[in-house]
Amino acid sequence: MIHLKYSDILKKNFELRKSVNGNEFKVAILSNITCHQINEIMEYALRSNGINASVTQCNYDNIMQESENISCVNAVIIFWEAANILDGLYYKINVFDKNEIEELTAKTIKEIKFVIDQLKHTPIVIFNTFSSRIFNYQFPKENNFDLLCNALNETLRNNISSNIHLINLENILADISIKVATDMRCFYSSKALYTIEFYKHYVEHITPILLSTVGKTKKALIFDCDNTLWNGILGEDGFEGIKMSAHEKDGLPYHEVQHLALELSKKGVIIGLCSKNNPEDVDQVLMHHHDMILSNKDLSIKKVNWVDKVTNLIEIAMELNISTDSIVYVDDSNFEIDYIKTMMPETTIIKVPENKYEYPSLIRKAFRYFYFSHETKEDSARTQMYREGVLRSNAKGNFSSIDEYLESLNINLDIYVNDLNIVQRMAQLTQKTNQFNLTTKRYTDTDITRLLSDDNNLLIAIDVKDKFGDSGITALSIIKFNSDTAEIDTFLMSCRILGRKIEFKLFDIIVEHIRSKEIPYIKATYLRTIKNRQVENFYNNIGFSFTGEANNLKHYILETDQYVTKKIDYIRIN
Amino acid sequence: MENRIKEIMSIVFETDLSMIDDSASPETIENWDSLKHMNLIAVLEEEFKITFSDDEILDMLNYGFICKIVKEKLI
Repeated sequence: MIHLKYSDILKKNFELRKSVNGNEFKVAILSNITCHQINEIMEYALRSNGINASVTQCNYDNIMQESENISCVNAVIIFWEAANILDGLYYKINVFDKNEIEELTAKTIKEIKFVIDQLKHTPIVIFNTFSSRIFNYQFPKENNFDLLCNALNETLRNNISSNIHLINLENILADISIKVATDMRCFYSSKALYTIEFYKHYVEHITPILLSTVGKTKKALIFDCDNTLWNGILGEDGFEGIKMSAHEKDGLPYHEVQHLALELSKKGVIIGLCSKNNPEDVDQVLMHHHDMILSNKDLSIKKVNWVDKVTNLIEIAMELNISTDSIVYVDDSNFEIDYIKTMMPETTIIKVPENKYEYPSLIRKAFRYFYFSHETKEDSARTQMYREGVLRSNAKGNFSSIDEYLESLNINLDIYVNDLNIVQRMAQLTQKTNQFNLTTKRYTDTDITRLLSDDNNLLIAIDVKDKFGDSGITALSIIKFNSDTAEIDTFLMSCRILGRKIEFKLFDIIVEHIRSKEIPYIKATYLRTIKNRQVENFYNNIGFSFTGEANNLKHYILETDQYVTKKIDYIRIN
Repeated sequence: MENRIKEIMSIVFETDLSMIDDSASPETIENWDSLKHMNLIAVLEEEFKITFSDDEILDMLNYGFICKIVKEKLI
């Protein structure tokens, strides 16, 4: 999008408005400067990801009042420009006396706290931190305006809740320069400070945050090996000839990139290889090359063979149970990249630049793709879990029946019922799970907390362990009770634990709860999405009766007494 | 150039190309408000790689005058 002309963004956005359907994703902008030019750019970024976005500006310079009125939006973006807190504040503040400054600071801090509190039920709030850079970068010493911004930012950091994402605009200013990012001509005439170029970069910066709440996070970073993890071609330059050492100029960028990949892996991003090479050669490097930073334990998947890259990437997606649009692939060959772009346009591709010294910065830029606000315990353990998953699927062949195999896994479950300690993880599951998800309802931390506070709701989550490892909390169901029916609001499982009949065990547990409350009927729905076809017949299969369908929504009902417990004895409950 | 300006105006104001005639102005085009005017300026500057002065921006309130100013800048 950065390279699109503004006129093309306007044109394409207008066309996408007609073609993108589905639930409306509403974004409201609160501001004390003129910033309407973000609207179409933000809409375009979301619509080109298939999201039916609408971006609207709230009344100019009414952040407090408007924050009170906001309801039913998916996201709020706040452009609270420090320079314009009062007209001309950035120069006036330096002639204010001490009392005036203290009064203004205290008043603004109160306002910030008020706005944060008003927006506590908004799923995502993107709050730009306060900055004095645009007006102060020429000054050799800090002044009152700098100090005010520092104080306000400290307030922000001390008061944010999990729905608030602080964005440091100075990062964007540093990237494209203050000169390119701002237009003083429009600032003096219309209080419009930022340029189109700025908004394009800003939107690119924050889009992954918005995407993460609708289950569109990137999950895997896959490297070709030659000239992407090391300098040189293993098949030609040999074990000794490839370079990735910190002690040589040509190896250093690769040494750095491997560290960056390792960092991502520790944050829960899947790191893998997809490379045309002899597998035994690459294994030698992974196990014995003393300059390698990444090792087998950091890699969730390896496709090292002579099969074409598209086939390999599709297999990677299948084996990891992720979709191909959640893969970011790094390669240096134009030929391979063109081929993948043609066959899999949904996959994000990073091309290693001609100047190798630019490569690490390009990988650092890719970090934003993997944005997720709160790292949970499961995130950092995920590499391990995905690798165990691949081990498990490779082990399958040796058993005469799937049940025999499953029995050998020693699967055991920890059950969490209405547990306030796992709110973030439950919200994260609703946001990230696409395939085994019957209703695909997305909930934020705040939503989950609200659900938990109502006695008529039951939230059951499951932590799945087996002899290969701990998958963490990976299944969730939300049940809403009325006097005579229990309604399955949410029933989902992470793709990491598919194929182990855990869904049946979970349903047994749910029905036990419903029976204990003596509720005669269970109602359930299946909402069809592009990604959840595999569970289309789930309720049929466990004995529900189909009662009707409308707008991709299928309705089911079951008499509680008629439910036949699946009794999967080899899954133990702790 | 004139045609491209018409095209740009129809994109920015989300209006039919036929609406942009010589007399097109904020009076004749519904979407032409002060905010959309800023968008028009941004697109014209990007498209023709020119910069308008703050006073020119205030004057550019009809199609004919826009063409005249852009033409002058391009010489």
